[in-house]
Amino acid sequence: MELKLKKFGHILISRQDGREAVAAIKPVLKDLPENEKIILDFEGVSTFTPSWGDEFLTYMLEKYGDRIKMENTENPSVQATLEILNSIKEDKVV
Amino acid sequence: MRKQRLSIGKAADYLNVSIDTLRRWDKKGKLPANRTKGGHRFYYKHNLELYKKNIFALAKEWLLNKPAEPSQKFYCPTSLEFKQKLSLLEKNLKRRKKFAKDYPLIVAIAGEIGNNSYDHNLGNWPDISGSFFANNINKKQIALADRGQGILRTLGRVKENIQSDKEALYIAFTKVISGRAPETRGNGLKFVRNVILQSEIKLSLEFYSGKGRAVFMSGNEKGMFSTIDTYYPGCLALLKF
Repeated sequence: MELKLKKFGHILISRQDGREAVAAIKPVLKDLPENEKIILDFEGVSTFTPSWGDEFLTYMLEKYGDRIKMENTENPSVQATLEILNSIKEDKVV
Repeated sequence: MRKQRLSIGKAADYLNVSIDTLRRWDKKGKLPANRTKGGHRFYYKHNLELYKKNIFALAKEWLLNKPAEPSQKFYCPTSLEFKQKLSLLEKNLKRRKKFAKDYPLIVAIAGEIGNNSYDHNLGNWPDISGSFFANNINKKQIALADRGQGILRTLGRVKENIQSDKEALYIAFTKVISGRAPETRGNGLKFVRNVILQSEIKLSLEFYSGKGRAVFMSGNEKGMFSTIDTYYPGCLALLKF
């Protein structure tokens, strides 16, 4: 299935909004057949930050792992956020 | 109400600069003029007023004065107002050719810093809740401030033995940590630092909390952390782009 992130807004910046996005999407994903891929489409997202990303993407990646595929991630704020979220996985949390 | 227009001559008088300087600023995009149908330059007075005003000085004043709400123009009582103002900033930056590619990074930095104010102080504001958020695209500046608990106190909830505001800023900008126990996440300020240091466009940030000061400039390998004499309650930031 495909999730268009712009449906949550074009500016995705706060933790609170990220948590609300997770709450909104949970019922939709509940009946998803096992092994079906989930495409997260960033088209139309203009500003993206790690706070929103940490709440939403971290949840999605922890729950669905390799089934997640991201598309249209060229926006520089999307790129920078994905980079930091990836590096955090490798960092030791103090 | 009709916006008051000034000719280039009157605008020059108002800003106390020459007409040639205004023409130069227009060409460089430092202070773009509007044009009449006939091609003559004119300026809206409210834009010139904003240009004159030093938004960072206003933010500092708000933190150092007795507790009171800041000017309504710059006040975001809740994250909702902040998001609305941020959306407007994004729209205005996007319109300028020279920011057409990089505006998302500028907005993301402002968004992270501004939202931190709410994420870390919700229900715990010491006096005035909300944040100060002002921008001046012509001067390429964004100022943010809050009268919240500041970095040292919010980090102190999850990490003991932080000795100073300077150390707290160092941890906040370089280590993955959250001030919202028991969560172990928290990467907004680290993101801000990385984006600025790695940026291809010129970006700089001054960030103050308590007596701590952190400075980041694009092209540098790392930030500078120091202790200053003035004590700023909460957080104060100036982003230049």
